[in-house]
Amino acid sequence: MTTLERLAKILEERYHAAPDRITLDAPIESLGLDSLGMTELLFFIEEEFEITLPYEPVSMHTVGDAVRYIDEVLAGHPASAAQPSQHVPLHASPERSA
Amino acid sequence: MSRTRRVAITGIGVLSPLGNTPEEAFENAAAGRSAIRRLEEPWAQRLSSPLAACVKFEGEAHFEPPRLRMLDRVSQFAVVAARQAMRDARAEDARIDTDRVGVFLGTGMGAARTTDDGYRVFYGGGERVNPFAVLRGMNNAAAAWVGAEFKISGPNLTYSTACSSAAVAIGEAWMRIRSGELDMAIAGGAEAPLTYGALKAWEALHTLAREDPADVSASCKPFAGNRCGMVLAEGAALFVLEDWDRAMARGARSHAELTGYGLATDLAHITRPSVAGQVAAMRAALRSAGMAPESIDHINAHGTGTQANDGVETAAIKEVFGERAYRIPVSATKSMHGHLLGATGALELALALFTLERGVLLPTMHLQVPAPECDLDYVANRARHGVTVRCVMSNSFAFGGTNAVLIVRRK
Repeated sequence: MTTLERLAKILEERYHAAPDRITLDAPIESLGLDSLGMTELLFFIEEEFEITLPYEPVSMHTVGDAVRYIDEVLAGHPASAAQPSQHVPLHASPERSA
Repeated sequence: MSRTRRVAITGIGVLSPLGNTPEEAFENAAAGRSAIRRLEEPWAQRLSSPLAACVKFEGEAHFEPPRLRMLDRVSQFAVVAARQAMRDARAEDARIDTDRVGVFLGTGMGAARTTDDGYRVFYGGGERVNPFAVLRGMNNAAAAWVGAEFKISGPNLTYSTACSSAAVAIGEAWMRIRSGELDMAIAGGAEAPLTYGALKAWEALHTLAREDPADVSASCKPFAGNRCGMVLAEGAALFVLEDWDRAMARGARSHAELTGYGLATDLAHITRPSVAGQVAAMRAALRSAGMAPESIDHINAHGTGTQANDGVETAAIKEVFGERAYRIPVSATKSMHGHLLGATGALELALALFTLERGVLLPTMHLQVPAPECDLDYVANRARHGVTVRCVMSNSFAFGGTNAVLIVRRK
């Protein structure tokens, strides 16, 4: 299975995302995940790919961003995935201020 | 706005060991059926007293998976019971400004399962923690989810006063509606403490009943000479409380009027109940209701089945009601549904409302052996039907000393 297929499996099984909407350019939020859902998605990605993601915030706006990020972590180069972005940074969402 | 308003109870929701609707719970209680069982979980073998009263409940039947993963069992109970109560009240027709609606929830141990699961991971050396551990585990989670479910923007408050938590939550909601501050509230309690850690902790306090060798379901024996403790239970009961006049104007059905709420605190000891503290709470409730003791026809006792509570509660009832105490039927329904801790006052109030509506006094089961210090009419072992009951007092007393008493009157 490709990274996209494995990620799609998580999105379908855990979030009931419609398979035909899981495309590389689909915004993850459009699949029904809010900032909390994105946090949880990282947890499921770690589980599925048996990796530990860096704690630092990363930006994953689209499904394609997530696939690239996972591939880079798997290849041992996670830093290049963390691009400055106007999108919601994971681990540091203002919606989660205590 | 009048200085004090009347408060109607227009909706009831119940998830309990005796059933997952108010009617089912009441009918099982009226039939004297106990839900107390031996726990079957593997970890229960490590308990000296592996007894509990559980709710038959699967969260998957009520929540979509992404939402369910955010909810501890206690929050699931609270939301489902609140849905029942709001449906019963036909509250969607109420057209009330949501700023003038509040959520008041009592819970003693909160998200015990999430806490237990977390400890197992942390202290077992694990690193992978559920990302929603905080979200699920925070003490106000259950109330927050109830508020979110119904988009309630008024006060959202959680009360934790151990075994009186639910009665306090209901009473505090009553005060705000009565004063005119709010028009409606969802109020009650939820508890889901049946984890290995929680049971072990309660066991260490030597307050849990030993198993009755002849009949496990008879292990909790309030007011009996051979009582040996309480049995932990889980569940939720929530109510819709409303300003009486508004409720009547919208054509709502009122189950009863909530007329009184009394609070008093035991000072002498952190766990030992005191006659003075219980008397003060009952008198405060009567005062707030503007009622004389003669108005009370029935008492749903705290009646835990512990040595400490039942004798003290009996003495306190006698002090408040004098000679008439011997003629007031007193029910301890924990003999059947166990002790729901922070939700118990709400479940007992729900049962009391059916006593008012249907004229059925619920039994104190497993009361075969009399105790010299417990000499009132406890409706022993069999319900009484066809009784006229106008006013019921419901007692909730707690570790920490917060004694709370509610009074309801037939509509």
